[in-house]
Amino acid sequence: MNPLIEVANLSYSYRAGSGNEVAALKDITMKVFEGELLAITGRNGSGKSTLARHFNCLLTPVSGSVEVDGLSVSDKCNVASIRRQVGMVFQNPDNQLVSSIVEEDIAFGPENLGLPAEEIRRRVDWALKTLNLKNLQYESLNQLSEGQKQLVAIAGVLAMKPRCIVLDEPTAHLDPRSRREVIKNALRLNREEGITIVLLTHFMEEVTHCDRMIVMDMGEIKMEGSPREVFDSEEKIINLGLDFPVSAKLAEGLRKQGIRIPRKTINAEELIKSLCQLK
Amino acid sequence: MELTKNITLGVYLPGNTLIHTLDPRTKIVATALLITLLLFIKSYLAYVLFLILIIAILIIATIPPGYAFCGLKPMLPILLLMWIFQLFLYSTPGATVIFSWWIFSATDAGLHMGNLISMRVLFLFTVTTILTLTTSIVSLTDGLESLLNPLKKIGLPTQELVMTMIIALRFVLILAEELDKIIKAQMARGVAFDRGNFIQKTRNLFPVFLPLFINAFKRAEELIVAMEARSYSGGKGRTKMKTLHMGRLDLLAGLFMLLFSVLVVYLILTIPPAI
Repeated sequence: MNPLIEVANLSYSYRAGSGNEVAALKDITMKVFEGELLAITGRNGSGKSTLARHFNCLLTPVSGSVEVDGLSVSDKCNVASIRRQVGMVFQNPDNQLVSSIVEEDIAFGPENLGLPAEEIRRRVDWALKTLNLKNLQYESLNQLSEGQKQLVAIAGVLAMKPRCIVLDEPTAHLDPRSRREVIKNALRLNREEGITIVLLTHFMEEVTHCDRMIVMDMGEIKMEGSPREVFDSEEKIINLGLDFPVSAKLAEGLRKQGIRIPRKTINAEELIKSLCQLK
Repeated sequence: MELTKNITLGVYLPGNTLIHTLDPRTKIVATALLITLLLFIKSYLAYVLFLILIIAILIIATIPPGYAFCGLKPMLPILLLMWIFQLFLYSTPGATVIFSWWIFSATDAGLHMGNLISMRVLFLFTVTTILTLTTSIVSLTDGLESLLNPLKKIGLPTQELVMTMIIALRFVLILAEELDKIIKAQMARGVAFDRGNFIQKTRNLFPVFLPLFINAFKRAEELIVAMEARSYSGGKGRTKMKTLHMGRLDLLAGLFMLLFSVLVVYLILTIPPAI
């Protein structure tokens, strides 16, 4: 796979309220590959949001470089074309939706790209269909649930036809059912539409579906690899202020009771499979 | 305290009638025209003409009359007060006194003035209500943007202004809900909003509005980042999904409005004013 986003020796610091320089990112080097589903986790303040905001020019590196498809984020001339390729969805749906009507809001992004009216219409219809929002097309956003609003936010980004969508804790405000709905749709966009997804999250259940994960702490990348590899090192995970997926915990408990469950069982499907194979 | 219930800003009655399908620009210009005419009318006959027009529009747009006039209810006391003031305080030399009590006396000129002014306010309100009842906020803003377009030449940032309006409309309800939440949170912590004298009551509002404003600014900041992430960079280079089209119906409606205006202007010029 070829890298879509390449981060090399990226550092970023900001001036805190007290006037001190705070280093939010320290010498980060990483890649996001085309078509992958990458999770970035870490406790609050670990720098994951700051990192992700470099991916579509919301922040520019203090030192080091970030390139999207070979275009440098630091170059102002590239901003428009990078934002066309990398879309971003934020935590609070209410603070990222602009218009009061669902389809109008989804059209906001494509309208900004200066596309002709028919093309915008086509893209909005496509985004509505892809995320199963057709029945909410003319609905007022105030009438929707938080989960539905978040799907509208994703549709708004999708209508810009990006190659990569960064989801910055998209489920933090949602109830469990809407959370599943949002993640299910993100997975589908990745598998069916081939869109690269970068998922920033606190929820380990969501991480288990990803191809690859990065664990951040104190502005540094502490661990990197497939969820299976990362969750294998128990102590490290706990020290980084994270938790294990429920299925992994359950598997571990069962193993301690002498039930033969293979190590590296991290999600529900695998656990069920190995439990069924016991007899 | 349910604040969100009382917000009826731009209530829209979805429909598919002739009035609903007119281009928003036609409706905005027509409304502006009617408002201008109303400001010059000084005869009862012209008001009768207006009444007929409004009833006709209400019937065509299938708006239940209750809907068109229910918004007037809170205004009635003020209207009545206005009428009484005009009745007793307005007078012209040579006007006949029709009623007098103690130091007050009402003249026929005052009566006419009161009638005309009350009717003017009533009709102004109804005309604008019809516009918002039959036009969705989105098409209203679209229409406004298109109408303001010529002003771009003199440097007015019309697209940005309309975008501001769209966002304001979206956040009215969100902020109202938030205000509701803050009030309840403060009540849970023992703030009694309904007790105390005027000064205490006013002081109680600080812990409500302070967090509301701080949150509003936070929201604004987040919204700016989100809009930027969605490639917004001002009105330049932006296109619209929905383009407005003037049809034959708009032409007809425009012609009709023109005829109506000519008739009203004729009445204004020929009929001596009631006062």
